[in-house]
Amino acid sequence: MQEHIALTIDGARIHAVKGASVLDTAMEYGICIPHLCHYPGLSDIGVCRLCIVENIVGGKSKVTTSCTLTVAEGMVVRTDTEKIRRLRRNIAELLVAKAPNSRAIQDIAVRCGVTNVRYPFQNDKCVLCGRCVRVCGEMWQAHALGFIGRGKDRRVGFPFDRKPDYCKTCNTCIDICPMTITPCIGPMKKGEERLCGGCEGQLTMTKNFTDSCVWCKLGEGFQCTRHVQMAGRP
Amino acid sequence: MSNEMLERILKGRRSQPQQLVEVLQDVQEAFGYVPQEAMTAVSRELGVPLIEVSRVAHFYKAFSLRPRGRHVVTVCMGTACHVRGAPRMLDQVKGELGIEPGQTTQDRMFTLERVNCLGACALGPVVVLDGEYHPKMTPNKLRELLASVYAAEKEVTHGS
Amino acid sequence: MGAKLKTFADLAAVRASAQARKTPATTVTMCCGTGCQASSSPRVAEALKSELASKGLVDSVAVRLTGCHGFCEQGPIMVIDPANILYCHVKPEDVPEIVGKTIRAGEVVERLLYTDPVSGKKITREGDIPFYRAQDRTLLGQNRWIDPSNIEDYIAIGGYSAAVKVLSGMSPEAIIEEIRKSGLRGRGGGGYPTGRKWEQCRAAGGDEKFVICNADEGDPGAYMDRSVLEGNPHAILEGMLIGSYAMGANQGYVYVRKEYPLAVKNTRKAIEQAREWGLLGENILGSGHSFDVEVARGAGAFVCGESTALMHSLEGKVGEPRPKDVHTVQDGLWHKPSCLNNVETWANVPLIINHGAAWFAAKGSNGSTGTKIFALTGRVKNTGLVEVSMGTPLRRIVYDIGGGAYDGVAIKAVQTGGPSGGCLPAAKFDLPVDFDTLAEAGSMVGSGGMVVMDEHTCMVDVAKYFLTFLQDESCGKCVPCKLGLERMLEILTDITEGRGRPEQIELLEDLGDTMAQACLCALGKTAPNPVLSTLHYFRDEYEAHINHKACPAGVCRALIRYAIDPSVCKGCGACLKACPHKAIRGRSKEPHTVDDTVCSRCGICKDVCNFDAISVC
Repeated sequence: MQEHIALTIDGARIHAVKGASVLDTAMEYGICIPHLCHYPGLSDIGVCRLCIVENIVGGKSKVTTSCTLTVAEGMVVRTDTEKIRRLRRNIAELLVAKAPNSRAIQDIAVRCGVTNVRYPFQNDKCVLCGRCVRVCGEMWQAHALGFIGRGKDRRVGFPFDRKPDYCKTCNTCIDICPMTITPCIGPMKKGEERLCGGCEGQLTMTKNFTDSCVWCKLGEGFQCTRHVQMAGRP
Repeated sequence: MSNEMLERILKGRRSQPQQLVEVLQDVQEAFGYVPQEAMTAVSRELGVPLIEVSRVAHFYKAFSLRPRGRHVVTVCMGTACHVRGAPRMLDQVKGELGIEPGQTTQDRMFTLERVNCLGACALGPVVVLDGEYHPKMTPNKLRELLASVYAAEKEVTHGS
Repeated sequence: MGAKLKTFADLAAVRASAQARKTPATTVTMCCGTGCQASSSPRVAEALKSELASKGLVDSVAVRLTGCHGFCEQGPIMVIDPANILYCHVKPEDVPEIVGKTIRAGEVVERLLYTDPVSGKKITREGDIPFYRAQDRTLLGQNRWIDPSNIEDYIAIGGYSAAVKVLSGMSPEAIIEEIRKSGLRGRGGGGYPTGRKWEQCRAAGGDEKFVICNADEGDPGAYMDRSVLEGNPHAILEGMLIGSYAMGANQGYVYVRKEYPLAVKNTRKAIEQAREWGLLGENILGSGHSFDVEVARGAGAFVCGESTALMHSLEGKVGEPRPKDVHTVQDGLWHKPSCLNNVETWANVPLIINHGAAWFAAKGSNGSTGTKIFALTGRVKNTGLVEVSMGTPLRRIVYDIGGGAYDGVAIKAVQTGGPSGGCLPAAKFDLPVDFDTLAEAGSMVGSGGMVVMDEHTCMVDVAKYFLTFLQDESCGKCVPCKLGLERMLEILTDITEGRGRPEQIELLEDLGDTMAQACLCALGKTAPNPVLSTLHYFRDEYEAHINHKACPAGVCRALIRYAIDPSVCKGCGACLKACPHKAIRGRSKEPHTVDDTVCSRCGICKDVCNFDAISVC
């Protein structure tokens, strides 16, 4: 028997499972919150900052990541305010400028309303979402992969940059990585990077409903859990 | 790398993952850097995954992953030192020894490091050589200081 | 010393005997903090001791080696009591004359006296020096009387009497109420009301709690905590003891940054002595309360000054912060309730308990009470540590205490609050220095660092400097900080290298606002402050860089050139010898030239030229 508590998300009264995160609860109820580093079954670390929401406490609004925010009785959360949209758009813009060669990142950019990118494009292969590190450590307990270095030198790697013999070669790290699928318009060479915008049509349909799930094509890219459920895929 | 020294450091710390940072500090002090073999031994003894030991060793500036030169020159680049001309110290060392911060000279004599504030701000620019603080440095004084280290080494190698 | 102290009365007896002890006729106090040590004060102290020994004066002259006196620009400093004569820039060679003339014959050695930079007059007595007189040195002033390696010095000036007051009859609620009424706010930068934090920690459930002292002091340009910890470690221990009793903790940690080896050493020594004397450990002075402290060293990470990162570091992990939806007073070290406070905050606690909340609250203004120590550095005459009441006008600190411009160049701005803070222009110097006023003006009190900048400082370069620092120190975990800092620095680099575009200003503001709201921890959230505050007050400098590709202060290397005036140059070759990049050519007695293609614009040549033949253009 699970304990339930009541909170309000975007004006809707929600019955949430005690101990669940605001992100999981919202997604369950069809309220769409973009995310990247969140993955079902793995711990939530709140690093991509895309899932931010406004948590209204005592009349003041605190911007916080919904994946790390545990539901509480009487909590009031807003996921799609003007402020949140602007912040999310800017974060998504930073991501797509950094790593445009990923379908997930391009989808997220369009979903978050990025229409032009004000920074010179780079062509990085990793956005440090940490899914691979967490799946290797938490699910397989192999601890073969980890974060190495600090700040601008932060990267994912093996100890001493050599694949250890305790790496099970399960390839889950590759499967779960949001960077492995190239954009719909094809892989971009250095110097040709741009904002794809191919799914702009999808966005028109969802523009007025950015807070509710319409099973948009965009969810495929960031492996949206709700999308996966609805599509009946494993 | 001395196994005895490593054993001494690890003594009494079996299965104590919370000691990781302190243990690596001891390793750094004993060997002048953190060798890969030490990391492997620490991982085993403390019960911390190797990737985690590696992560901590890379995260903190106090740990050097490559052996350092015989003499370490640290230039303070704190705000107060910066406005009093600290960047010129780096110019001086770069010009004279040809190395950037983090690098060691070919002859393994000097390693240059920069630090983001030593707390001697009223006396900037500050340069530390082998643990000794030198206040109110100028490029000229730095040149003389480096020269004195060369001279001292010559004396030692050629007998007194 | 002999046996452990077992009761409050035992301690009182020790204090009485320490105070009653006949002191020698003369006491010489020497500052041996890290700053003066860098200026070789230990060598002066050694010379003094051996000179006194050789002249048979060891019994009639006491030598006390203390922590920082605060007047760092003038170190090594020596004060001779009871005449209160202050000598500055003392060298070992000066010692025989000092002993011979001043100590034995009572005569003053003129050349070693402090010269007031404003009046030009020599001042004999420490108490008459304007730098000290204009301050309220309630906390830092204690350093003067304490040899940090001797617990009796601390006890003699009243040390541990606040702990006795607390342990012998104050309830935890009463203690916390006293701290709350005093209005003490966190001195590490956050300015959070200390009484409120203590109450939250006390109220948190559980069987184990911790009190932690944050001595990571990472702000470049700030060294107040170093001086208090080096010179007066027992003040922190006593504060933590009082806090532990009030909140229900039995274990404390002092997390000291690795770059402060003397502070680590002195704190460890103080803890050892406190344990020996029974002031730390089980059943302290028979009160029933047990409390012990350990020192932990940082390992070179500015981000470890952030409370959750610090606690992770204490747990042996990387110092990465976690989101603070649940505060550390509920879920801190090892997931137990933990109260983390700054060095200066802890050190003020015994003073508040002894003198009362009203005494503390009587100083200050606008919601900021008590005194605060500032590290006044940069391009000002009197650099050093300055302790004043909250609410003191900035002008007073910079001019009256600081002595005004260094080198006669007009002061342009003061940067406060370290990399999380902002710059205030000269026009704002009448503002009182307190938490809320500075925050409203776009800066912050922060931990207390105050870096003075003059017309030779480029404010765009300053913004770039702080971004470079933060990018170096960021843990890199969250997207808006890692990518945001990178892009901000990219833009600042464009601007300082002549590739700036007007639309980049708006982008800086938009990105800055995003970082301020979306970053995971305070490092990222406050990272845009130096950029945004310099943009606000010094927009003209940004515009000069962008629109005219010029650096008015002559600092940004890509925008300046060094040239030798052939009509003035005497061909002495000093610049040629000094240039580390071999960019100057010329024959002896003939005008020299700078090879622009090799020149790195470091400016070393201009400094060494005795004829003023080199200029920046």
